[in-house]
Amino acid sequence: MHIMEGFLPVTHAIGWSVASAPFVAYGMYTINKRIQEKPEQRMLLGVAAAFTFVLSALKMPSVTGSSSHPTGTGLGAILFGPAAMAPIGLVVLLFQAMLLAHGGLTTLGANVFSMAVVGPFAAAAIYRFAKAAKMPFGFSIFLAASLADLLTYITTSAQLALAFPDPAGGVAASFAKFTAVFAVTQIPLAISEGLLTVLVMNALARFNPLELKEMKVVAAQEMQA
Amino acid sequence: MLTEQSAYANRWRRVTPVAKGCFSLCGMIAAFAAGSPRTALIIALILSAVSVFGAGIPLLRYLRVAAPPLFFLLASALSLAISLDFSTSATGVSLHFSGSDFSRIAQASSRSLACVTALLFLALTTPLSDIISLLRRCKIPEILLDLMTLCYRTLFVLSEAVHDTMTAQSARLGYTTLTVSMRSLGGLISNLIVQVWQRSLALHNAAQARNNDGALRFLENSYANSRLSISIAVVSGCLMVALTAILP
Repeated sequence: MHIMEGFLPVTHAIGWSVASAPFVAYGMYTINKRIQEKPEQRMLLGVAAAFTFVLSALKMPSVTGSSSHPTGTGLGAILFGPAAMAPIGLVVLLFQAMLLAHGGLTTLGANVFSMAVVGPFAAAAIYRFAKAAKMPFGFSIFLAASLADLLTYITTSAQLALAFPDPAGGVAASFAKFTAVFAVTQIPLAISEGLLTVLVMNALARFNPLELKEMKVVAAQEMQA
Repeated sequence: MLTEQSAYANRWRRVTPVAKGCFSLCGMIAAFAAGSPRTALIIALILSAVSVFGAGIPLLRYLRVAAPPLFFLLASALSLAISLDFSTSATGVSLHFSGSDFSRIAQASSRSLACVTALLFLALTTPLSDIISLLRRCKIPEILLDLMTLCYRTLFVLSEAVHDTMTAQSARLGYTTLTVSMRSLGGLISNLIVQVWQRSLALHNAAQARNNDGALRFLENSYANSRLSISIAVVSGCLMVALTAILP
């Protein structure tokens, strides 16, 4: 969920940019290392950015009937790694601002933090945890993708609550308000995206196991089973 | 994409992106510096007038591009206006509009509107390839620029693949019901991931065949009278910021 251009006060806009900068820097460091080992990763990650952008423009049938767009944070984190998703997310969010006037340049830092840092890292952590707990492949993918979406929207609500505290109840009341208001659209979206990601990964595992193995999504012995 | 069409075909296409970037930046500074909603609205009006009359973007297209962010702004303003109250009733939560907050909401919304017009000015006059070269001048790390270049160049290839696949799927009744369309979309995306893999390998092989040794390099465009246009942009931008200081 994007925060609109110019919506955050200037101190918050700068603060969130500073907060996401180390993650983007670390992401660029890991990408550089990956490229040194495997030069073809440069092209792969660039095309992955285009894929994420195109994905976010797709209309997803939502449970409630309203149409919504997948964020692709969970899917991207599982396929390309959470650290790489911070720079990729930055590029995608910049493109969304420049090409679709969605999001913005002043709120880029805040949006990167919620969608390209919290979402992917949460998705990767949940996926790894679910795999360690020997949960079924599909269920762990669903958990990772949908919980990443939920955490992203909760982060955005927190960002808005900090910027616009309730005059009576303060930040906590404001946070409760934003989570409640956005839950109407965000919870169905999280469920839809979770289901969609499972379908995508199942199709990949059935038809393109080699690629998944290359991307280290599943271990080699799992694939043979 | 509508912004793309305008970015490549407007009166200021051949003006250096540095000038347009500076003017847009000044617009955003003015939006944040505006002391009252009225001043911010004046800034928004100036920026949209410059885009429509200066850069020659048709008014109708401008409005069509501006409509989604304006709708989004309305929704955001509404979410600010609603207030949840946990203390009033025994039943728990009550929902009401907070009128006392009006000035704060007006402030945030008008500032946001002015910022959106500044963003639209840049987006509608400058193609992304120019913006990437502008960012290169700002010494943005090479790896980010590479990602942007690749993203921009494959974006349209992948969009076409999505369009073709969707047409094929719809022709086979792939989007008739909720379950079926979910499955079709899953198939489409997984197919797209394989294409990401294959296309990037093909790009890599093509680059290798041409002795690529790392970063992707492109020739920079040259612009006539760039000094003059940069000074005009900076002076008019500063005037706009000064206007916010004068107006209450």
